Amino acid sequence: MSIMEYCGAAIVAMVGKDCVAIASDKRLGQQQLTVDMEFQKVFPITERTYIGLSGLATDVKTLHDRLRMRVNLYKHREERVIEPKTFTHLLSHMLYERRFGSYFISPVVAGLDKNNRPYICALDTIGCIDSSSDFVVCGTAATNLYGACESLWEPDLGPEELFETISQTLLSSIDRDAMSGWGAVVHIITPSGVITRDLKSRMD
Amino acid sequence: MDRYSFSLTTFSPNGKLLQIEHALAAVGNGSTSVGIKAANGVVVATEKKTGSSLIDVSSLEHMAMICDSIGMVYSGMGPDFRVLVNRARKAAQTYRRTYMEDPPVRILVKELAGVMQEFTQSGGVRPFGVSLLLAGVDDRGPNLYQVDPSGSYFPWKATAIGKNMVNSKTFLEKRFNGDMELEDAVYTAILTLKEGFEGQMTEQSIDVGIISTIPAVEGEDTLKQSKFQRLTQAEIKDYLSNIA
Amino acid sequence: MSPILESAAGFKFDNVKRNQLLSEKGNAAPRATKTGTTIVGLIFKDGIILGADTRATSGPIVADKNCEKIHYLAPNMYCCGAGTAADTEFTTSMASSQLALHSLNTGREARVATAMTMLKQYLFRYQGHIGAYLVLGGYDVTGPHLYTIHAHGSTDKLPFVTMGSGSLAAMSVFESRWRAGLSREEGIELVKDAIEAGIFNDLGSGSNVDVCVITRNNVEYLRNYVMPNERVEKEQSYKFAPGTTEFIVPKPPATLSGEEEGTAMDVSA
Repeated sequence: MSIMEYCGAAIVAMVGKDCVAIASDKRLGQQQLTVDMEFQKVFPITERTYIGLSGLATDVKTLHDRLRMRVNLYKHREERVIEPKTFTHLLSHMLYERRFGSYFISPVVAGLDKNNRPYICALDTIGCIDSSSDFVVCGTAATNLYGACESLWEPDLGPEELFETISQTLLSSIDRDAMSGWGAVVHIITPSGVITRDLKSRMD
Repeated sequence: MDRYSFSLTTFSPNGKLLQIEHALAAVGNGSTSVGIKAANGVVVATEKKTGSSLIDVSSLEHMAMICDSIGMVYSGMGPDFRVLVNRARKAAQTYRRTYMEDPPVRILVKELAGVMQEFTQSGGVRPFGVSLLLAGVDDRGPNLYQVDPSGSYFPWKATAIGKNMVNSKTFLEKRFNGDMELEDAVYTAILTLKEGFEGQMTEQSIDVGIISTIPAVEGEDTLKQSKFQRLTQAEIKDYLSNIA
Repeated sequence: MSPILESAAGFKFDNVKRNQLLSEKGNAAPRATKTGTTIVGLIFKDGIILGADTRATSGPIVADKNCEKIHYLAPNMYCCGAGTAADTEFTTSMASSQLALHSLNTGREARVATAMTMLKQYLFRYQGHIGAYLVLGGYDVTGPHLYTIHAHGSTDKLPFVTMGSGSLAAMSVFESRWRAGLSREEGIELVKDAIEAGIFNDLGSGSNVDVCVITRNNVEYLRNYVMPNERVEKEQSYKFAPGTTEFIVPKPPATLSGEEEGTAMDVSA
């Protein structure tokens, strides 16, 4: 079994019309054993940039802490808020720094830039950026999510439409992944603010 | 050994760091440099002083590009300038490799100011004998900064450093206005240098560098910047002939 | 610490021991994104043409349907990358950085041989552990040059080259049709056909064709020069009716600092 499948996760980000959405499940597992049903995998980095971290839970915490430090330093040093794209390159750099002893994390970034243009991308464990104009996924349910996204996503969805699409995509995918599920959370990032919702899901 | 490796810059009883003041004196002996921030860009210009007519002026570099969006001139000691140019270029590339974009001017200025400060407080070194003018463009628009041997730095609308600093600044105070376009700023910079220029000013005796902001295109990044560039001798000649 | 450098340059190895232990306990290491890839380059009458497909894979999964494999090195030089995607990305970006410094310091445009030497020495130092397989092309003061660089540090200088999992398919096209003195149009067509051979016959390659034409003092980057695999539009919409998903608004909302809130504020009203 791969170490990337040890804890279980399903994270997906989607582009909408002048908005982006990022959603994750809430399960934390040790292989087949579930140990937490309120495990945070999606974190705000700025007011309009969010990151989803799937992989080994210890690295989720470590990497999130390190990112917070780097982003706060950036904020104070440069007196500006980091853009999602710039943040992604910073993250990519931090991951590749550990090319030969990586964090077991594959992240997803979603945000709006200063011109309110949507930005999403996924990275592998050593920092290769996979930017996309529709959707990105990661976690043990990645294959399921790919399939669901390919058929359910469509361009120019408004915030509420995007919420339904990303929620149903995530819920269908985690229902067929034993390693993820047990609740889910969705964040819709719009120019006027972030809408956060907890989804009702199967708890098995 | 360690016991004696005190910094050369130690405080005098009246609270001054004499070495830094001497370094500023070295800057004051150096050829004049001016910088002007225009509405749509920045210009920096400097005299190319030569001790002898036998020197091949084309080989003199008084101005350096640090990265596409930032350029730099100095007054003071040439060799010290080159050390700082190397540091600045490396810092700019390091920043680029992390964030995949050019550093904001102020970040690069802080980096250089940090280096220069270190040389006022370290053992076995002396302060840099240069003041720098950095011209650059970032998402805040055009920027002009001065960095001194002490490590202090200042943002300017227009300023001058070097031998003719006082007169040049007085001249700039009269001539500068905030709506000035880059083209006008280049003329003003050359005219400022001309005040108190010894001998005949030719395209070979000055160096001019410009960087401009191109107006934002709808939907594009707000400021797409052009490259910092040194004017060619032909371009400087044109400006000079229009002044005369 | 310098305001720009957060950490010293070079790799960090603080996770290596832990990761080794985990893999000894039977936890397989994660899969890095590979480019899969068909990349090619050829010399034509006026310079170099580089070509690449745009598929990135993670095992059997297509990770990116339209990635960029032709990387910028210098104004007169570009480089196609195959192998471990992150390695090609960072190796070329490092080389690009060094070339920028080199040409600022020398006041000249860098030579292709310089870039090739920098890359091969870097890759050789890492004994193949940095999985970058590159096709380097450029036009300098000495003319057009085309190299391949393997992850272990070996290089070849040839008039037409292919690399990646689709290299055999692409080479079969080059071997039968390449000749000296190709025109620009013929060259682009041949590169396109070679990449398409990879796209259609190699599973690791797919999607679109990127082309880059490098001539004296000019570069033309033709991103998505042809797109032979566009997805047909869906006949129907699969939008969900508003209210399909049952949800609650959580309290307290996630905070920027990520720290625990004291007493949760009532935001329901």
